[in-house]
Amino acid sequence: MSQTISAKIIIMGIFMIMFFAFLIFRTWTIMRDNGERYKKQVLNQQKYDSRAIPYQRGAILDRNGTLLAYSERVYNVILDSKMAWNDADSIETTLNAISTAMGLDKETIRKYLDENRESQYHILGTVDYEQRMEYENYVANYNETVTEDNKNRETKLPTINKKVIWFEDKFRRTYPGGSLACDVIGFTTADGRGQYGLEEYYNDVLTGRNGREYGYLTAENALERTVVPAENGYTLVTTIDSYIQSVCEEKLKEYDIAHTGEFRENEMGADNTGVIVMDIHSGEILAMASYPYYDLNDPKDLSMYSDMQVEQLARLGGWEDDLVEGETPEEIKKKEEQRLEKASQMLWKNFCISQSYEPGSVCKTFTVAAALDAGVIHDGDSFDCRGYLTFGEGSKATTIRCHQRYGDGVISLKEAVEKSCNVALMLIGQKLGKDEFLKYQKNFNFGLRTNIDLAGEMRTASLVFNQKNMGITELMTSTFGQGFNVTMIQNISAYASLVNGGYYYQPHMVKQIKDSSGAVVDNVEPTVVRQVVSVSVSRLMIDYCIGVVDEGTGTRARPAGYRIGGKTGTAERSGQGKRDYTVSFMGFAPADDPQIAIYVVIDRPNTATQENGTRNACILCKDILTEILPYLHIFMTEPLTAAERKELEEKGLKDTLNQNSASANSASQNEASAPVPMEPEEEVTELRGDKEGYAIDPINREPLDPETGVPLNADSSIFQDENGNPKEITVLRDEGEEKDDPRE
Amino acid sequence: MEDEVRKKRRRKKRDKREAIVLPDATIILALFGLMVVGAVMVYSTTSYTSNLDAQSNFLKKQILAEVIGIVGIGFIYLMPYRFIRWLGSQKIRVLLLMVSLGSVLLLLTPLGKTVNGATRWIDLGPAGQIQPAEIVKVAVLIYIAGYIAEKKDEINTLRGYAVPFVVTMAGAGLVYIISDNLSSAIIIAGIGVLMLFSATKEWKWQIIIYTAAAAAVIWGMITIAHAEAAAGHIDTMKFRYKRILIWEDPTNPDFYYEGAYQTLQGLYAIGSGGVFGKGIGKGVQKLGKVPEVHNDMIYSAICEEGGLIGAAFVLILLGAIVMRCLQIALKSRDIYGMLLCTGVMIHIALQTILNVMVVTNTMPNTGVSLPFISYGGTSALFLMVEVGLVLRVARNNSR
Repeated sequence: MSQTISAKIIIMGIFMIMFFAFLIFRTWTIMRDNGERYKKQVLNQQKYDSRAIPYQRGAILDRNGTLLAYSERVYNVILDSKMAWNDADSIETTLNAISTAMGLDKETIRKYLDENRESQYHILGTVDYEQRMEYENYVANYNETVTEDNKNRETKLPTINKKVIWFEDKFRRTYPGGSLACDVIGFTTADGRGQYGLEEYYNDVLTGRNGREYGYLTAENALERTVVPAENGYTLVTTIDSYIQSVCEEKLKEYDIAHTGEFRENEMGADNTGVIVMDIHSGEILAMASYPYYDLNDPKDLSMYSDMQVEQLARLGGWEDDLVEGETPEEIKKKEEQRLEKASQMLWKNFCISQSYEPGSVCKTFTVAAALDAGVIHDGDSFDCRGYLTFGEGSKATTIRCHQRYGDGVISLKEAVEKSCNVALMLIGQKLGKDEFLKYQKNFNFGLRTNIDLAGEMRTASLVFNQKNMGITELMTSTFGQGFNVTMIQNISAYASLVNGGYYYQPHMVKQIKDSSGAVVDNVEPTVVRQVVSVSVSRLMIDYCIGVVDEGTGTRARPAGYRIGGKTGTAERSGQGKRDYTVSFMGFAPADDPQIAIYVVIDRPNTATQENGTRNACILCKDILTEILPYLHIFMTEPLTAAERKELEEKGLKDTLNQNSASANSASQNEASAPVPMEPEEEVTELRGDKEGYAIDPINREPLDPETGVPLNADSSIFQDENGNPKEITVLRDEGEEKDDPRE
Repeated sequence: MEDEVRKKRRRKKRDKREAIVLPDATIILALFGLMVVGAVMVYSTTSYTSNLDAQSNFLKKQILAEVIGIVGIGFIYLMPYRFIRWLGSQKIRVLLLMVSLGSVLLLLTPLGKTVNGATRWIDLGPAGQIQPAEIVKVAVLIYIAGYIAEKKDEINTLRGYAVPFVVTMAGAGLVYIISDNLSSAIIIAGIGVLMLFSATKEWKWQIIIYTAAAAAVIWGMITIAHAEAAAGHIDTMKFRYKRILIWEDPTNPDFYYEGAYQTLQGLYAIGSGGVFGKGIGKGVQKLGKVPEVHNDMIYSAICEEGGLIGAAFVLILLGAIVMRCLQIALKSRDIYGMLLCTGVMIHIALQTILNVMVVTNTMPNTGVSLPFISYGGTSALFLMVEVGLVLRVARNNSR
């Protein structure tokens, strides 16, 4: 017996070992026959092996904690056609549930189901939490009722197939303010990348890290899950004050609506209008607004603009095409798309930092400050303005006229600023000299980026003069802010340094970065870049600027009850053969202890005359200051006239009145009538050659050849292009008031 | 009375004579190697799909079971051979059988724990859970060895053959019916039938009848599966038939979510491993792709990470244990020890073969774990107890 057993065991053992060998062989054949294919298959399905859990993008808050942008949890509704067809009877009830509870169109889904029976992933739409819960409750209630009902029925009613619809988390970027601070904030693309503004500049900070969910099936196909949570992005606390920002935007919008189509039919009130309000002692931007605006929640929406305005925007954005007749519908459609895209891009650009222009007379303050600081002129110096100044020699001689054809006469330095006298400024420029001028221009940061923490700040290095290309004419025009380009942010940052004691702060938008739990990650402290002028020069400049508003060209910018300082500016946008201007007002408040700086720019106002445009810049500034100064707890220092009182009441600014009731009351008692408003001097500068017998184009004031009537070439090369035609001829006019030009 | 005292003394003397020698080196080394591979692979396959706690839990539970198993091996090894024989004595082997079958019946009580629709575990509360099918395997093994050793030649009569055969089939049937566990039933039946075959003198009829029966069952199931598929009962047919259709074509989209997925992904894992594998811990199929990758499908992870080399290494270690069982069985001093070793050899070999055949889609899917490697405490514990018995027999041989 034992022998038989041994034999059988040995045979069994050998058989088993052979089987083991076969298994190794079998494993090897799988690798040999299908290895490459399976390797690829394994790589192919890697993307499905786990699911990303979306991170929450950090919020953007204003300085008081008001939400400007945040990411809200929403759900993608996913349709599984295959599941639906597995249980075809329940399709109708399921579709009913989807359309009733989540408001999605039944017929569209039915069509998709019919056409895509194998699809297992189709996004039907996005719903919020309430809609999702409504659907889930609906399904639960319905199925419960039907199941109960079916117990007493012969033919069973179909229930809702829960597996047909499932939900996928995602976040939707929401901007509660709609278009509030749109240029500053920017928006995010569908895949969560920031575009423009803070969203783009701080994209890395706002972006978190996706988590992962690993799903795996057990033997019986139950789905097990393991979760690595997502890391949320950081929150930005900006320096923006929602109230100030909204006041600025409101006023810009009011201005634009009031002037739409005023001169050029169907066009907006101006190509661009912009306002920046800045805390001069820290470089914090309190508000930065521009018009036209867009809706952050729907950046491509252009419905608030008329067709003509969209066309205007597209042209400003660089769209040069035209719809030509005879084109195929596809071509027309393509062009139309391009046109809309250009218009949108124009809207998305932040005018305050991304567009340069010739600043005009507001820059006279910088020239005067530089000359005072360099010691070439002194407070109390006087200048003789005869209405024009001729410089250069021989054929290069150039004459630039002052606004006052017959001259301002002998005026003091302060009066030169108040009256914005070009001749006085040119005389100062001659004393200062090219080297010093360029040195100070660089100190004021012109030609350099301010490095404000916003995406898209323009480079202006090639738009200012340097040692090589600055001749005497360029120096002369530069003294009153023509010939070179700046951006709004450059100008106001430099101006803030003039009125805060000479300290140039780097302008910034973000003061604090917090993590998602609210802990502070980073505090942004104000950064002094350099001292540009001395404290005493700063004091003088404050004094001069107050003079401009008190008795100079900027009286209309004064808000009722306050004393402020500032400087007006008008630059002619020439070279287009059109009568276009950039008008501006740059000021600070309050006069006795400057706290904020404000800069209003209206680029190509849609007004019949530039005088109207200039006046509007001052009025815009006044309107804004009237509302924000009380808000900033800056009290009225000046008596209110009856007219001003009435105006404030009409505007509904009761609070302002009450807050300042003491001074207001005494003011109305003391002053029986409104003070006679200053009639500011009008200034017009003309550029002309030294030859006699020229004529002037009555519209754009370019010098014309008396015989041919074509524009004369200016002497300096910067005033002509390669064809010898006038280019960049910056005939400067400034601060005109409603009074008509006597020469016209 | 005096007789008995003398008998006892003699026993004591004999026990004393039996010096404690080192256990069989090949088995110990192979077992240790398999346990290390098992621990590494369980860790590797569970580290991604579980969070940190549960992952160390898998490993901890496995190591705990193995430590208990090692203690069990030591205990059995140090016991006198008499104890091993005592296990096979009539009363005890019947008791063991009754206990094991009773534990299967316990599944019907609330103690039974249902996972994924099948009740296969008894919940022992804080002490964990055990799988009665594993106890039945050992009980049947010991019962048959003890029965044959006791009845000697009686096994060659039809009546003597019928008793252990019926016991085997009753155990397998009970496990199949109550815990819906075909693979364990096949293994129990396989252990019983093959042990009976090896202990009898008869050759021809057993081979013919068993082969014919197995072929008939297989043919029957395949035929029914095809008939069901032809009749369009894709959704309603029993899952065993689905698995047959999946075995024939793992890419069949009708069954993708019904198990084809597991088979296919397992094949992808094996195929993508290549000769040298992707490196331990570097597999990607375990990342939620292959269901039960730490358990029944662990061979696919070994192939993916260790390649053909790793897979062959594991099979060679298992083969070494099987070979040593065979050698110890042949050297055994008594028929009981011989049959014990044969049973353990059959158990380990059968389970390995079934597991690898399932993972490589050489046969239809059924849940079998890979001995000493797959995650599963009960299986590891009882297999080690069996190895302990073999080692004890070997010690007896070297006396």
